Amino acid sequence: MTTRVLIADDSETILLLLRTRLEMEGYEVVTAADGVEVIELMHSEAVPAPDILLLDAMMPRKSGIDALRELRAAGVETPVLIVSAHQDEMDAGAATDVEVSGYITKPIDFDRLFACIAELT
Amino acid sequence: MLTGLAVVGVARFLQQRQDFENATARSYQVEIAARNRLTEGIHPATARTAIVAQQHKRQALRNDIDGETRDTALLVGAGLIAGLTGAALLFSGLISSMRRPLEELVGASGRLAGGDLEARVKVGGLSETATLGAAFNEMAGELQRRAGERDQLETMKDEFVLTASHELRSPLTSVQGFAELLMLERDKLSPAQADTVEIILDNTRHLVRLLNDLLDLARSDAGRLTIKPAPTDPAPLVEDAVRTMRSQTETANQTLHFEIEPGLPRITVDRDRIRQVLVNLLTNAHEYSPRGASIEVTAARRGFAVEIAVSDDGPGMAEDQLEHIFERFTRGDAGLTQHVGGTGLGLAISKSLVELHGGTIGADSTPGLGSTFRVLLPAEQAPALGEPERVEV
Repeated sequence: MTTRVLIADDSETILLLLRTRLEMEGYEVVTAADGVEVIELMHSEAVPAPDILLLDAMMPRKSGIDALRELRAAGVETPVLIVSAHQDEMDAGAATDVEVSGYITKPIDFDRLFACIAELT
Repeated sequence: MLTGLAVVGVARFLQQRQDFENATARSYQVEIAARNRLTEGIHPATARTAIVAQQHKRQALRNDIDGETRDTALLVGAGLIAGLTGAALLFSGLISSMRRPLEELVGASGRLAGGDLEARVKVGGLSETATLGAAFNEMAGELQRRAGERDQLETMKDEFVLTASHELRSPLTSVQGFAELLMLERDKLSPAQADTVEIILDNTRHLVRLLNDLLDLARSDAGRLTIKPAPTDPAPLVEDAVRTMRSQTETANQTLHFEIEPGLPRITVDRDRIRQVLVNLLTNAHEYSPRGASIEVTAARRGFAVEIAVSDDGPGMAEDQLEHIFERFTRGDAGLTQHVGGTGLGLAISKSLVELHGGTIGADSTPGLGSTFRVLLPAEQAPALGEPERVEV
């Protein structure tokens, strides 16, 4: 069965990059532009549940961290990787004591990203 | 008379501040112009010298203004004492009502000169002392306001670098990501196209490095550069850094040896950060040394510390260059044939990082023979190390 990945980033270019690389690796990809869309997709009957989420830490409307907190509060236990620009954001994220499966920094090391996804799904 | 002296003092103070700020602004303009030349590659050595010279100039200006501010405050204070003595002989009755506010002024001048910017006096009593007190308070208020503005500017600068580095990271992620995507299909590209993509990737990585360095410096300035130390065996740390550099030194036909003293004590360090320092030292040795050079890394016990040294037999540095090597944007002159990809920030960051660990970093060099950089890190449960001067071996 194909692993389904939900990716969220406010940059369309980054979404295209992530989608292309993930699809080349054989993953099925669903995209969201911010945390609000992530929550909508997770509650949607029409979209099959993803096996893993890859959320940008900082997005307008709702950040990846906020979306993650909301999902965990609603009892969703799907692994979540947070993509962040730098260490300071990772520290900020870690301080929120919400359970994160892992952090990926930009620019993205794709070998590491694929290894993380493989390990968590 | 006393009021006159104080007014002269305050006027002199304000004029000096104005001169100081004009001179500082001019110095920044000269430095920015030099930086632009450096970016465009116009007489880079001269531009670098100009940048360092302007930084020194501003430091000197700051020292002067601090000294002059103190002098002014002391002048006001001294004038008061002289006036006090003279007046005491003539108006012994009057003096008793003036003494307390004047003594208070002298005391406040002293505190202000000593750096207490909140020093103020109670305004009251005879009209002369009251005017003097008000003038003093105005001067102190102005001083405090300017100092506050300076701090605020520093904070804004730090915030700017942090935000800019965040905002730049997104487009860089795209550039690097899509260039890598092209390289995945290298066999579909012509050799010239593949080379072009390789150049894009090289330069993107350089930009990322520059961004990381700038971010580290901004963090360091804002006191937010943090480490997560844990007891670490030095040997694998050194081996790891050497392994990272192996392919680059091999490409340049340079030999890279390491020698680790057996049975070294563990050091309490942030593994990633010390690895960053070692890779930085090795990168410098590699980039500043010619093809075929020899680079050596040693790790040895030094009392309660472990010393990791990186030596090369490259061009070395003269004494005057060596003095500034740990300052920002200082770079050694590489031979014309050498491609030096550094940011001029690596050693400044390395120094901050090593010092955060309670360690020291130093360098010695002989022109024509090579350079040695030494990092001294406290062993687990070691007493704290002394000042950097004590470390020179």
